[in-house]
Formats: sequence, structure tokens, C-alpha cells
Amino acid sequence: MAVQIVMDHTGDSRHTFDPNDAKQLAEAERRFRELTGAGFTAAVRTAGGDSSQARSFDPTAEETLFFPRLVGG
Amino acid sequence: MVVWASAWLRERLRKRAIRTLFCRHKAYRTPQGRSIRLLCEWLSPEQRTQFARHGYFDFVGGETGSLYRIYAAASMNVVLLDQRKKENRGLCFLPMGELPVGDVMLAQKLALENCEPEALAVARHFMPRAFSLRPPNFGG
Repeated sequence: MAVQIVMDHTGDSRHTFDPNDAKQLAEAERRFRELTGAGFTAAVRTAGGDSSQARSFDPTAEETLFFPRLVGG
Repeated sequence: MVVWASAWLRERLRKRAIRTLFCRHKAYRTPQGRSIRLLCEWLSPEQRTQFARHGYFDFVGGETGSLYRIYAAASMNVVLLDQRKKENRGLCFLPMGELPVGDVMLAQKLALENCEPEALAVARHFMPRAFSLRPPNFGG
């Protein structure tokens, strides 16, 4: 199972999906587009423990984290 | 006597482990606790240790290779370090919305690692002389 983690006021909301299920995969891709379209940045963790920005939906990513748009403090 | 002491010690350690487990479980049910857990999941082992010991962690910016330090706070908590790891310049930026502190810190780290120019473009600068944030045991 793969997971999309969205930061929110509760800490985070997690959406798990089976990458082998076409319907769930389509829903995950829709969520990705919706969140990034709303200004969220998507980051994935690489095997080495580093992170990288996901600019498009990656169906093989096991864990994708979305954080909101940044503003100056 | 030795057998009794050993059993007493085992029982005490067992109770302490159970108490720790319950405390963590309770903490992880709160937004702050959940956000700190998420942050720790995304830190490297070295950063987790540094965070637990000092209340901050260091990392390298993805574009410039600059060294940054993030303190456990939700604002005015990001510092650019010089080559001697001295605090050089403070950067104040944060993700939109009411997010718990761990989420804010993780978003700041990921932003500087993966979209550093965008983060620097919105950040406001400050002099980091007044830093006294050293909350212990955040990293568990």
C-alpha cells in the first residue's frame, strides 16, 4: 500500500491506496493534482532517506507528503 | 538477595517501559504529537539524534549548498549558518494555515531542500542573536 500524507491542523491526514488498483490509483492521481493545484508542494522520500520534490504524480512512490504554500513570517 | 534485586529491577524497568509507551501513545494522539512524530520520521538518524539532544537539527539547502538550522518553534526558527556553524542570518517563513509545530518545521526543511529559491524569496530576514530556544526531548 502507498500513502499520501497531507499536512493539516490535526497534524496530518493520511490517504492510503493500492497502486495495483486502477480505481484507487486514479483517485490518488486526482488528489495529487487537486492539492498541487491548490498550492501544496509534494515531496517524496528516496530510498537513501533524502527527499525530493514531486512535480508530477508518481504511481511508484510509496510515501508522498504534501505541505501548504509558504509565506513570509 | 541478588535474585530479589534483579527481579525488582526488571519489574521497575517493565513499569517504566509501559509508562513511556502510554505517554507516547497519548502524545501521538494530539496534533502536536502527531506532527512531531511525522517530523522525526522524515529526519535522518543523525538529525533525529541532534534534535533530541539539542532541540534543533542541521541540513543542507538543495540549491545553494548552504547549511541551515531549524529550531523547535513555529516562527523565527530557521537560521543560516556560516562555515564555522555560527548563526549568520535568520529566515522567517512558514507554511500557510494553522499547522502544529512539527509540520511547520518539516515544511521549512523540505522547502529549503527541494525548492530553496522559492523559500528564500518569501522569507523575511532577522538577526538571530536572541535565540534561546532549546526545548529538550522533542525528538524522543
